[in-house]
Amino acid sequence: MAWLRYLKIWLGGAIVLLLVVCGLAAPFLAPYDPQEQVLEQRLRPPGWGSEAAGAHWLGTDNLGRDILSRIIYGSRISLLIGAATVILAGFLGCLLGAMAGYFGSFTDEVISKITEIFLAFPFLLLAIALMAFLGQGLVNIIVALMLTRWVQYCRVVRGEVLSLKERDFVVAVRALGGRDFYILLRHVVPNTLASVTVIATFAMAIVIIAEASLSFLGLGVPVSIPTWGSMLSEGRSYMYRAPWLTIFPGMAIFITVFGINLLGDGLRDILDPKLRGQR
Amino acid sequence: MRAKRSGMSRREFLQTSAALGVGTLLSPPLAGLSRAASRDRVMILQGISLDSLNPYAHSASPTYGIWEHVVEPLIEVDYGRMEYIGVLAESWEFQGKKWLFHLRKEVRFHNGAPFTARDVIFSINRMKTDKRSLQGENFKDVTEMEAPDDNTLVVMTEKPNAVFLDRLNNRFMISKAAFDKSGEQMDQQPVGTGPYKFVSYQRDGNFVMTRNDDYWGPKPEIKEVVYRKVGEDAGRVAGLLAGQGDVINNLPVDEIPRLEAHPKVRVEKVEGLRMYFLAMNVQHKPFDNKLVRQAINYSIDPQVIVKSIYEGNGYVMNGPVSSNVIGYDPKFKRYPFDPKKARELLAQAGYPNGVEVKLYFSPDRYPKAREVCQVIANQLLKGGIKAELVSQEFVVFWGSSGVNGGKLPFYYVGRPATDADTVYDQYFRSGVTKRIAYKNPDVDRLIDEEQRTGDQKKRAALLQEVGRILMEDVPLAPLYTLAEVYGTARNIIWKARPDEKILAAEMKIKA
Repeated sequence: MAWLRYLKIWLGGAIVLLLVVCGLAAPFLAPYDPQEQVLEQRLRPPGWGSEAAGAHWLGTDNLGRDILSRIIYGSRISLLIGAATVILAGFLGCLLGAMAGYFGSFTDEVISKITEIFLAFPFLLLAIALMAFLGQGLVNIIVALMLTRWVQYCRVVRGEVLSLKERDFVVAVRALGGRDFYILLRHVVPNTLASVTVIATFAMAIVIIAEASLSFLGLGVPVSIPTWGSMLSEGRSYMYRAPWLTIFPGMAIFITVFGINLLGDGLRDILDPKLRGQR
Repeated sequence: MRAKRSGMSRREFLQTSAALGVGTLLSPPLAGLSRAASRDRVMILQGISLDSLNPYAHSASPTYGIWEHVVEPLIEVDYGRMEYIGVLAESWEFQGKKWLFHLRKEVRFHNGAPFTARDVIFSINRMKTDKRSLQGENFKDVTEMEAPDDNTLVVMTEKPNAVFLDRLNNRFMISKAAFDKSGEQMDQQPVGTGPYKFVSYQRDGNFVMTRNDDYWGPKPEIKEVVYRKVGEDAGRVAGLLAGQGDVINNLPVDEIPRLEAHPKVRVEKVEGLRMYFLAMNVQHKPFDNKLVRQAINYSIDPQVIVKSIYEGNGYVMNGPVSSNVIGYDPKFKRYPFDPKKARELLAQAGYPNGVEVKLYFSPDRYPKAREVCQVIANQLLKGGIKAELVSQEFVVFWGSSGVNGGKLPFYYVGRPATDADTVYDQYFRSGVTKRIAYKNPDVDRLIDEEQRTGDQKKRAALLQEVGRILMEDVPLAPLYTLAEVYGTARNIIWKARPDEKILAAEMKIKA
């Protein structure tokens, strides 16, 4: 069943690639300006050219803006926040986790206690509290989500490093006189990358949902930037009359998270030594 | 043998929930379920209810409406003629620092005790001293109250206070005899002079009242009235359609077409008292410049907002107060929508390339604020004003780091009023609040004079003059008032009030 394992990667990868293309080429792909309000054309249902000029494939929203264009532009925010958070949180988490695992004793104690404190708060609640404190903004939401996501990397990397540092190849480097940071960066950390990649893909899916949730609650990015979460939030009161306001952004979130999870799952199947060769 | 933990087995539970589930799915098509209201009982579903039986521990219009069935005020507003009319007071005189009230005779409380001036003094004192009361502020300038006889009340104030009647609006009178008998326990069985007698109350449940057959005024038609709290908009609509409720408030405008098409219910609406406007704090740049403030007024077209976002259920304001408020001037004229003129004014003010501002709003406090502000930002852009939208939690928005600390330069706000004085005093008089930080000696002098003028016509004229100054100076951009929208059973004859009160005594049932 090896092809199934690769199917996951292909399918997931294709979805993620499509998303990246959407985000990068948004100005060329979007048929309308996502911010352009045409109040006379509000709440138009989805249609394919039935009204000659001015047809909106996925309909228009409560202010007469083109939903397709907003979803395309919204992918930028989801991707940007997803990728930035995952990379920054990964960097911070790996660094602290590797230090805790490698140096042990006091360093380990301090870092582990900090991670436990962060783990004590429910993830979304902590993000909401941070956003309420920092205020709205693209950078703020990345900071808030990063501060809630780094812990997971830290715990996993610490565990891996604990076992890696006793392995023969590390002991050998140390015997040859390698300094701590050299050993860490050159020999220990690269060996944790497989698990970090898997965490990162899953974290990205979680972060995209978290951003949508925060935007839905009005705590996300400023109102002037279209995001999938805020589209859902604004469409909520029109669910009965104009369901397309919520269906399409909801589908966009669903497909994106599905694709990323698929990719992460496929990567784990390949990279996890415990699963390797099981099938 | 082990006792059964609940009254229902697992299988029973599953069967019941399946039946309920199917029932829920089928309920929208079964519109015929909703029944007609009857004279025996009317059920009112409202978004908010009472938090306790303390008659003064609240200050929201819908809760005043519940209480007014049982307890009554001295005066109230006749919204048709826009003036105060007597309820428990028959007439009144304003004499400088003294207010004289002649109270209605032959009025009795539900406990049989006669209503006298001593009950009024007792009630006002309780509003002022009860720690949980939220209504004491209205009487902070009252220095002394006297009852020369049973039906005469004298109120002395620090300085002449011509707007005392406005402060008496929604202040209900309770029985001193009930207090003498039960002390603190009197709240458990509220006693008033109103058309309905209290029966029972459960927190977040029903508030039940029955007709007072010895009422001094016209006898109501409906025998029993029940208020129930249903917080969710959709819940109230479903309740009305399913026949569980006969009257619901705050009907979302998006639901109007669906209810209008329904055979058993109807939609009732009236212009509300909450006036929406964009406030500009003149301490912040560029709002210190009158030309910029005028430019903003020229760039806004509230008609479009009312028509599209509120689907026609709003009324554009022509002045700093709306047409249903004491102090409105029919000669008020709003700035026409003219982005070109706005750009010219900005250039004159020294901003040839336009200005960049931040527009603050609180999305959950006012209906559709988020959509409205996006449209406003779009309109302002055409007038050369680039507005960045900042949405804030209401506590942050309204608190000392926000509006009330004078920290927000430009924001979207709604303020209810029956008398222009309450808005002018609060927003535009020097030093009362920090909300707009507007200082104008002429406005201060006029408000001072108006609050001392007993002649209501002269007072209204002074308020109109304040309004004219404000329209020239525009520390605000007036927008609109919105319709108060209700859904009722079709056979209830009832006219909605602008003050958000639903009074069963004003309802008739069509046979």
